[in-house]
Amino acid sequence: MFFHISMEKNMQLHPRHFGPHLRDKLVAKLMKDVEGTCSGRHGFVVAITGVDDIGKGLIREGTGFVTFPVRYQCVVFRPFKGEILEAVVTMVNKMGFFAEAGPVQIFVSNHLIPDDMEFQTGDVPNYTTSDRSVRIQKDSEVRLKIIGTRVDATEIFCIGTIKDDFLGVINDPGAAA
Amino acid sequence: MSLAAESPLQSSSSSDDFAAFLDAELDADSSNSSPNGESNDDEEIDLKEERIKRRKVEMSETIEVIESSKTADVNKEKSVLSSESTKPNLCPHPGFIKGLCLMCGQIEEDDGSGVALSYIHKDLKLGSHEMNRLRGADLRNLLREKKLILVLDLDHTLLNSTRLADVTADEDHLLKQADLLQDDPNRSLFKLGSMHMLTKLRPFVRTFLKEASPMFEMYVYTMAERCYALEMARLLDPSNIYFNSKVISQSDCTQRHQKGLDVVLGAESVVVILDDTELVWQKHKDNLIVMERYHYFASSCHQFGFNMKSLSQCKKDESDTEGALANVLNDLKHVHHIFFDPALDTDLSSRDVREMLKKVRQDVLHGCKIAFSRVFPSTVRAADQHIWRIAEQLGALCTTDVDSSVTHVVSTDTGTAKARWAVQNEKFLVNPRWVEAANYFWCRQKEDDYVV
Repeated sequence: MFFHISMEKNMQLHPRHFGPHLRDKLVAKLMKDVEGTCSGRHGFVVAITGVDDIGKGLIREGTGFVTFPVRYQCVVFRPFKGEILEAVVTMVNKMGFFAEAGPVQIFVSNHLIPDDMEFQTGDVPNYTTSDRSVRIQKDSEVRLKIIGTRVDATEIFCIGTIKDDFLGVINDPGAAA
Repeated sequence: MSLAAESPLQSSSSSDDFAAFLDAELDADSSNSSPNGESNDDEEIDLKEERIKRRKVEMSETIEVIESSKTADVNKEKSVLSSESTKPNLCPHPGFIKGLCLMCGQIEEDDGSGVALSYIHKDLKLGSHEMNRLRGADLRNLLREKKLILVLDLDHTLLNSTRLADVTADEDHLLKQADLLQDDPNRSLFKLGSMHMLTKLRPFVRTFLKEASPMFEMYVYTMAERCYALEMARLLDPSNIYFNSKVISQSDCTQRHQKGLDVVLGAESVVVILDDTELVWQKHKDNLIVMERYHYFASSCHQFGFNMKSLSQCKKDESDTEGALANVLNDLKHVHHIFFDPALDTDLSSRDVREMLKKVRQDVLHGCKIAFSRVFPSTVRAADQHIWRIAEQLGALCTTDVDSSVTHVVSTDTGTAKARWAVQNEKFLVNPRWVEAANYFWCRQKEDDYVV
């Protein structure tokens, strides 16, 4: 789920950036440092939408770096248990498959793939129904439900299922080709 | 760091309240059990009012909290989920990935059981029951596609590597050659600057992989480090068709200095192993085809205590069409053929490739009766000797005494009584290497090439 929240961070800036573009430099550095990172608490920071306030700088003794408290608005993405997500399959093996929804990696075990889908080896490993009408392979798009999340300091990992109504392949690259 | 705790420092804007809401939300999720009580609900209602006000104020805001009105529904669902998780746990926890159960998504209680399969995914761990289930499912799949499993060793079997520092003076031409050939897709000599390695693929290896791939699902299993193993797999299989996430390296082994099939997701009855070292496969000798070591570089020869000139120093190489790999490919084809022989009346799933290997091996020296003379000391038990066992595995009858039924005398010395007897009675007198060669090539060698 996406959230729009306000966060704060102390930014350290080298004195060579001090000048008329100090604010721009600071914002550019903030984007570089923060966007794409993940905190276990808030999830992945997708984008910074605005900077509310830059506080008074404090010179660090010894280094000359200056610390600015910066308050900014950002969009964060955090998966929840029970949430339905659309994801792209990245790897298929006999254990199940891995999929990605933006920055989140999701694993769907073959226990949680419908029983009529069977693993097929070959150049393109895939899961196929017995009547060959539905196939999950690399780059397929699937709709899945999150049943477990593991939140680390820098990463969120999920276990998903497609063994439920209205879940499964929504776009099959193999069929289009 | 709690955003909620910080909020009093600032003027209480609506966005801070939202952060507090988010905190509450996340806490509820992490504890996973707290029912959303009345106090929470009140807070939510307050928050909604706040948010409406905020919307009025900040109409220009482009990205809003998505589906905020649905949070209540999600909460409801969450409480349903949490009530589920408090029920007696029925999930057998077949395996864990990154500490989450594959089946129910619960966080693992670390009981230390299960086999780590870090070559498939770095944090994957499976219970033995699940491994067996996967092996069974895999076996059905393989047999349907008429495939067996082939486990390949890297060093000295498919290729030979040396550190750049160990390249001798008379191998310097190879470095130049490696640089020159950099763009040739069919080259077999690679200089890996980042790893300080010079690698030579064994002749015929590409054809070998190509022809083996329709018959076998192939694994790489090496005692080398993971990054080296992956790099070598990339050289052998640049488009990643043969070894897709099936590269097993040192860190995956469950026992020190031993290779085991316990990390291979395949039934032992369909696995064929190609390796140059018999010692590391203590438990799976029956699956093993021992390969003649490929020593291309001088440093590799020295490691194993050979003092002759290496292939690279002589500017030679193994034969492309009659080398060890071409040979073993024929053996593999033969084994594959008899495994899937429709004339056999046993059920496919009850067939065992180990039996087939044994049978093929027993045909090699079938009909030979070998007497050993001064090959091993007379004080030890002859039947325990390595060469004796090899000869027996190859189907030969072994003896220490000569009589008229003996066909071959194996000796290192022409002066022994038995050797002289062999010459007198026109029996073959051969070097012990004749037995070893037969063992490598799975084919009876010409006795004339191995005279004492």
